[in-house]
Amino acid sequence: MSSRKTTSKLAAIGGICTAVALVATGCGAGGPAPAESGGSSINVLVEAGGHAELQPIADQCKKDTGVNVNFVELPYDGLFNRLSSEFSSGTVSFDVAALDSVWLPSFKDALQPIDELFTDEAKKDIFPSLVREANVDGHFIGMPAWTNAEIVLYRKDLFEDAKNKADFKAKYGYDLAAPKTWQQYQDISAFFTKDGMYGTDVKGGVETEYLAHVLQAGSPMVLDSNNNVIIDNAASKQALDFYTSLVKDAPPGAAQVDWAAAQNLFNQGKTAMTQFWAHAYRQIPKDSPVYGKVGTAAMIGGSAGVAGVPGPWYLSVPKATKNTDAAKKFVKCAFDHNDLAIQSSLGLAARVSAFQKYQDQPGYESFKPLIETLNAPATATRPATAKWQQIVDTVLVPMLQKAVAGGDSAALLADAKTKIQALLK
Amino acid sequence: MSTIQRPTIPARKTSTGSSPADIGRRRRGVNREGLEAGRRSTRTILWILLTAALVLYGFPFLYLLFTSFKTPIDTIAVPPTILPKEWTMANYVNALSRSGVPASFINSVQTAVISTALSLVLAVPAAYGITRYKTRSGRVFIMAALVTRMVPPVAIGIPLASMMASVGLADTPIALSIAHTTISLPLSIWLMSSFFEAVPKDLEEAATVDGCSRLGALWRVVIPVVSGGIAVTAIFAFLASWNEFLFALLMTAVRSQTTPVVIANFQTQFGLDWGSMTALAAVYSIPVILLTLLLQRKIVAGMTLGAVKG
Repeated sequence: MSSRKTTSKLAAIGGICTAVALVATGCGAGGPAPAESGGSSINVLVEAGGHAELQPIADQCKKDTGVNVNFVELPYDGLFNRLSSEFSSGTVSFDVAALDSVWLPSFKDALQPIDELFTDEAKKDIFPSLVREANVDGHFIGMPAWTNAEIVLYRKDLFEDAKNKADFKAKYGYDLAAPKTWQQYQDISAFFTKDGMYGTDVKGGVETEYLAHVLQAGSPMVLDSNNNVIIDNAASKQALDFYTSLVKDAPPGAAQVDWAAAQNLFNQGKTAMTQFWAHAYRQIPKDSPVYGKVGTAAMIGGSAGVAGVPGPWYLSVPKATKNTDAAKKFVKCAFDHNDLAIQSSLGLAARVSAFQKYQDQPGYESFKPLIETLNAPATATRPATAKWQQIVDTVLVPMLQKAVAGGDSAALLADAKTKIQALLK
Repeated sequence: MSTIQRPTIPARKTSTGSSPADIGRRRRGVNREGLEAGRRSTRTILWILLTAALVLYGFPFLYLLFTSFKTPIDTIAVPPTILPKEWTMANYVNALSRSGVPASFINSVQTAVISTALSLVLAVPAAYGITRYKTRSGRVFIMAALVTRMVPPVAIGIPLASMMASVGLADTPIALSIAHTTISLPLSIWLMSSFFEAVPKDLEEAATVDGCSRLGALWRVVIPVVSGGIAVTAIFAFLASWNEFLFALLMTAVRSQTTPVVIANFQTQFGLDWGSMTALAAVYSIPVILLTLLLQRKIVAGMTLGAVKG
């Protein structure tokens, strides 16, 4: 009897729960109903870090245009899958998407041209490499929302230490200061590698920094303008040799060091310098031993001068949206009020004028070096090929990992060339 | 009746002066002590293995829990530390005050409850029919149910997302629940089949003799017997939905995003907020731990159901 009662109770509880859940399911708990066709409410698909960037703009946009924005946040790794699946199905759940620059060529057929937003005045206020990247097959398909580039972060307290200054000058014959050339970077790295500390890090797990050195050495990255694979040229080898020469002054395990590891090492006070995305300057934890002791400088220069690889994100409008007008209003609004994003936790923008507005304010010391790096003539965006991510994951990163572990640079570059050619066939 | 007097045999004495009976008793004592010692050492080994297993399985969770109380610099310490140097609740405040977190919890509960209910409603009769009628089609069906487990979820997820959108269920917990049911249903059918197999047919026949219909016997006799099994199946179905990530990533947006996706959102291209991520993960695991503790007895009963089948 008791087990029957228990069963009945369980069934009753289960039934009630199901009924409640099903009734509640009608609208879900996450927020308002999805944007309707022709309405003034739009869904904006963003990578999780992008929500913080765009929220102040969305608030302003609502005041200016009446367009209400619902953000759909997804982790970076999942965003590409979601975009691919929705674009391929022809039905999209969003009206605007924030796209990583490397995805633009892959999704170009699913995105609306927004040429009318790229006025001459607008183009003057966007970094040149970004204007070039936003234009795919003759049409602008993404408006830069924020951009980033690697700059040099260094331990100001160590660089300003009198003993360090004297010892450095005695050893190398010039003043200890933020490095401007490859040679200086090597010297300073070697100087600070002592007593459990390292001069710099070497990132074997990511490719962007090596590619910046290729640009600094005077060559395009991996592919030339005709999509010929040139990764085995002299400049690429010179860059790789410089990259691996720093391994002796870097923490062990360089093959596994990625952005997160390098940032951790610097914030823990284990490295005296790092080449890192500019946003990291404002994200040093207050309880970090290096908080308030960090200086910034533009990316170092090789024979072609200073160069970096920008990491912009673009706002794009899918062809499949039913809210084109409201979506384009938001994209324009995001450009008009681009400087509002600087006050977010990420603290980045895309317009030159937005960075300039803050560059002299305390706490924004990373902006001048960032502007200098982004405006450098040799700075260039990644090659516009839909296979780029595949090239990075299957060729470039494994090649770098072997190189920093002591592999022969010429042989590795030649092997990489063969593999990339096979991927592009 | 006269009783036969057995001649008394004087107890043989050994060189030590002990009788064989004494020796036997002593040997039995020695054997018992040996047996006890053996049992003790077996128990010790089992405890050591159990502790090792507990540490192996429990350590990641404990590390997650401790990390959730660390300061930002402590979470990224090189080399890592297990215990926080300074305990803080800031990560919990950050995580729980983040927009969308409370709603995602509600969505997770809704989705998991609906998916579990759907799994049970479909799996119980299916498993009962397969085990009781033992037809060839039943055997084919139960094997075929496994096919969905053999296909990579992403291969199902993308078409499923398109289908849900085309029937107007995009971005709703019911759509995600249906998707989750495709994961849990095959396992539920298999589990319930094994539980029904363990119930003697005599029980149902007796109920039928007492006037029950087939369905009545199922409801009044068989279901109560396998209630432990149903609890186990429900737990597995609930967990499958509660922790599922890929379908939630592909099928949810503004209205129905579940907590696993929100937890993953702490990793951005520009960094990983370990403290908040671990804090939210710790909070998210509480309902499942409570549910498991609540249904502990049922689960144990379900696990042992059929263990004594002769």
